[in-house]
Amino acid sequence: MRGLGIVVAGGRRHRRRQIIGWALFALVVALIPFLIADTYSPTVFGNRYTVGLGNLSQAIALMVAVLGLNIATGYSGQLSLGHSFFVGSGAYLTAVLVNDFHWSYLSTLGVVVPGLFMFGVLFGIPALRIQGLYLGLLTFAVAAVFPSIIRLDKVADRTGGSNGLLIDSDLEAPAWAPLDTVTEWLHAVPGVGSRVPDGLTGRQEEAVYKYFLLVIVALVCFWLVRNILAGRVGRALVAIRDNPLGAAANGVNLAAYKTLSFGISAAVGGVAGTMLAMHSGFVGADEFGFSLAILLIVGLIVGGAGTLHGAVVGGLAIQFVPHWSSQTQTLPGTDVALEGPYGTAILGGLLIAIIFALPGGAAHGFRRIKARLMPVAPRPPQAEIVAGDA
Amino acid sequence: MATDGLASLLGVFDISLDKLSNGELWLAQFFRGLSDGATYASVALALVMIYKSTGFINFAQGSLALLGVYLVYVFSVEQGLPVAVAVVCAMVASAAVAAFVERVFIRPFPPDHVLPLVIVTLGLLLIIDSAVGIVWGFRTRSLPSMFPRGAPIEWGIAQLTWRTIGNLGTVFAVVGLLYLLLSRTKTGLAFRAVSSNLESARLVGIRVGPTLGFGWALAAAIGTLGGALVVPDLLLEPSIMLRVLIFSLAAAALGGLDSMVGAVLGGLVVGLARNLLVTFLDLSELALATAVAVILVVLLVRPTGLFGSTRVERV
Repeated sequence: MRGLGIVVAGGRRHRRRQIIGWALFALVVALIPFLIADTYSPTVFGNRYTVGLGNLSQAIALMVAVLGLNIATGYSGQLSLGHSFFVGSGAYLTAVLVNDFHWSYLSTLGVVVPGLFMFGVLFGIPALRIQGLYLGLLTFAVAAVFPSIIRLDKVADRTGGSNGLLIDSDLEAPAWAPLDTVTEWLHAVPGVGSRVPDGLTGRQEEAVYKYFLLVIVALVCFWLVRNILAGRVGRALVAIRDNPLGAAANGVNLAAYKTLSFGISAAVGGVAGTMLAMHSGFVGADEFGFSLAILLIVGLIVGGAGTLHGAVVGGLAIQFVPHWSSQTQTLPGTDVALEGPYGTAILGGLLIAIIFALPGGAAHGFRRIKARLMPVAPRPPQAEIVAGDA
Repeated sequence: MATDGLASLLGVFDISLDKLSNGELWLAQFFRGLSDGATYASVALALVMIYKSTGFINFAQGSLALLGVYLVYVFSVEQGLPVAVAVVCAMVASAAVAAFVERVFIRPFPPDHVLPLVIVTLGLLLIIDSAVGIVWGFRTRSLPSMFPRGAPIEWGIAQLTWRTIGNLGTVFAVVGLLYLLLSRTKTGLAFRAVSSNLESARLVGIRVGPTLGFGWALAAAIGTLGGALVVPDLLLEPSIMLRVLIFSLAAAALGGLDSMVGAVLGGLVVGLARNLLVTFLDLSELALATAVAVILVVLLVRPTGLFGSTRVERV
């Protein structure tokens, strides 16, 4: 199979193809909120599914959480089962700053990012002496403790204890955002238009605005992390994961880079927490317990550890697999309703299936398919291109 | 000065001197700590069994024990068997489940590749926990204890109950039987050979796979027994074993992940520390956090635990 023909990496055709790809991506990301501003409810095999924009927003926040875990575990190979601790800290920090100090959501990032970076570094220092499995053991326990710390009497009046904390600030679309106008334009477009409402209600406008805000924060996170990982730091982290001894022999400062990776990982996790708080306007202690930590590991492995695309797939998977299962009233051919704990069981099965069948995760699978359909040849040493070289 | 400092320190932790000077309270908490410790010790023993033989921590150990305890519930409360018989039946059943799980999900992976195996046990944890929720629901149930009520020895509020004695006795009996099994039988010899050096064991003709499967089955049976000891003090519901697992991990880490004696002593120490701290420092919400602190300190100061064998590592 030849697919779209071979292009040379970095060549003009490759560049063009990349630009088209990104443009399509941007178009989809920009159009989706208007298409599902009225919740989208397809009926599949007699089951009615409802997907709202909120689900997608939450998935975006989870993508960033998986991205953070990816740095410590996927790239630098330190098994962290306690990433939910950082996500939860970020969420609660945002909630408290917004509630008690009347900050705006986005400005809390100014505290969350440096604060959690420091926290991650502090956490990373003992992690230097604790390796592999032992680190997993410790972080597993840390994750399970987070809810009980939040519920402590001494902090309960700030954190809301077991009741959780309702954040009393709404993210309303500012007057300059032309969301309503755009919706009306799209409504007039033939074909797509029938799916778009002819105007947004206040609640829908808020959801669309939140979505774009989260998309922007997520894009900035992915872009920054990509830049960090594409350079010296990223190579050092991967070297530490693949061969610590070799990395040290080549002058990589293991201690510095490992703590750095925990710092960045925690900071990104904190941003994900802020995003979750922005999305739901509520934080609850049990949301950030050990089940979230395991969920993020599932996202990491299912998406593909050590790849950025993997974080996207992983975030979507851990959001929508439980969502799908909780709304499946009858499994085709049976009368089993997949409610409640089935979602978790399916995720567990998915995790094991991926480890068995596709150890590189979904990102690896996509890459293989893409390499088949749209092969890219490495740039030859000289500018000469040998015809028929596949 | 010094007394002022002490008083303010005590004030921070809400410690009352009345409590501290109450000998009966100390003794009561000591007994309760022993009882809790025995249950942590038995789950820690199961963890140690797996770690010894395969070199990784089975995060699904708590879930296997959870499944076992629900089986105890089915056999004893629903089928009306005597509790002790029900526990034995459940141990056999959970051993069978664990052997099956090991054969299907664990054995396909090379045993020296730890990370995928840990991930698989996390997947198993999700599956087993939610399967228990699906089958039995989230209603809390009470499970009868194997041991009679009442206390043979009492000093005021301090009671040495039959349950405490039973828990301790069970754990020591398990350790004794395990010791006999490992040191006096051929299966035990094979098990020790595999845990000491997998390659050499294979070379001398030991069937490594079935031996590891046997280790899994044994660990699950011990875990189920541990669950049957711990649950009567609490109520049975699907998330119960997570807390127990954390305390047991702390116990196993403290004792050294590959030492059975260490697991038992670690369990007792964690049980005692937990009860004393909770009572005298009023840290009931931080009980789990103390377990984490134990894990952290042990791993930092002495990663091999109190009794674990030292690993030789290149620095």
